Amino acid sequence: MRILCVLLFMTLALPGYAMATSPQEQVKKMIDGVFAVLNSDQSAEVKRTEISGTVQKFLGVESLSQRTLGVYWKKGTPEELSRFMALYVKILERTYLNRVDDYSGGTVDYIQERVKDDKAILDTKFVSSKFDIPVQYKLVQKDGTWQIYDVLIEGVSLVRSYRSSYNEILRKEGFGGLMKKMEEKLVQMEKVS
Amino acid sequence: MRLPILLLIFLASLVFVEVTFAKQTSPSSGSALNDDFDSAFADDPLSADVQLISDPLERLNRGVFWFNDKMYLYFLKPVARAYRVVPRPVRKSVRNFFSNLSNPVRIVNSALQFKFADAGRETTRFFVNTTVGLGGLFDVADRWGKIPKKEEDFGQTLGFYHVGQGPYLILPLFGASSVRDVSGLAIDSLLDPLTLYMSRHWSLLDKAGYRGGLAVNYLSLDDDSYEKIKRDALDPYLFMRSAYAQYRVAKVAK
Repeated sequence: MRILCVLLFMTLALPGYAMATSPQEQVKKMIDGVFAVLNSDQSAEVKRTEISGTVQKFLGVESLSQRTLGVYWKKGTPEELSRFMALYVKILERTYLNRVDDYSGGTVDYIQERVKDDKAILDTKFVSSKFDIPVQYKLVQKDGTWQIYDVLIEGVSLVRSYRSSYNEILRKEGFGGLMKKMEEKLVQMEKVS
Repeated sequence: MRLPILLLIFLASLVFVEVTFAKQTSPSSGSALNDDFDSAFADDPLSADVQLISDPLERLNRGVFWFNDKMYLYFLKPVARAYRVVPRPVRKSVRNFFSNLSNPVRIVNSALQFKFADAGRETTRFFVNTTVGLGGLFDVADRWGKIPKKEEDFGQTLGFYHVGQGPYLILPLFGASSVRDVSGLAIDSLLDPLTLYMSRHWSLLDKAGYRGGLAVNYLSLDDDSYEKIKRDALDPYLFMRSAYAQYRVAKVAK
């Protein structure tokens, strides 16, 4: 049953700011930014739009998409890949926005930062009255900025979870089938909020 | 009746062991951390997807998944929602109480994996929470003593001895599991004083009621996480299968 709690957290950490020097500063900037909006007095709708535009900047969209598609990254045509990336970012953003309220009122402890060449791992812990959960960020340095490409909640990788479901759909239904499913999902997700 | 006595002796010996071993546990060395770092990036991002768990029974599992989904939506969740009239602290105490009772499961499994410091901490937690925490109603060991609970079960113990997860299994009402973890559950129920008592004195209906009650109590403290997964995942079944396998692998590694 605890797995539900883990899954709930998988979307906490998607965004990441570009500009800061160290991975930790970067992640901290993004979390502080999101929390500032969350804890402000604006309506839920205003908060959504404020967070929404910024989410894409924080992510290493290409690294994330590559790792999600795995072998299929090389099989897709450039058009398919760019369409996939656009849809994928929207899905991640929607997922994040639909849950972002759950994280208001919590704090983040920064536990450990490890950097090696252009890769970094940042261990944090999200603490609130309801949960107390380890969150690990994986970052890669591209064009001088650190970009988040994966988030692990209690050892469960966001990218890996997406990858195994997307790869199975790709295997059975190809890019066309996957993207049709993604589009349908987006329509459904936007209806909820 | 010999088992409880044996268990008690075992517990007492662990308290002793903890004192000896607690001093020896030092933070992981730098090289271990670096190995961990390298292995975290070892996988080629464009490689084929490595399935952590096999699923030869997918059709059956999907059937049970569907059944659980309906049970959840039309029965367990509504009951849990109604049960929320009970104040949150009380519901938390209910959870703490049963979790404290199942403490021997964590102690024994920690010890079986030679994690003696963990076994000692769980033993301490058990004594502190049973006494100061009023029979386990309050997790004072965590709140005041800063000794958080560490989940260990026989599935993890088997994993420690390099037993793979085996095929993925979805159990009715219980949810995601694997062949290994199901056998682990059976062993663990022999280590839990309550389930041990139940197996002798309770009818099947009583047991089902108890399990159902625990599930409802758990769900009442949960924030619609299942609904959110269902809303966001392209295929919730596949998403949860991968997450479960990863979660268990991470648990074994800890």
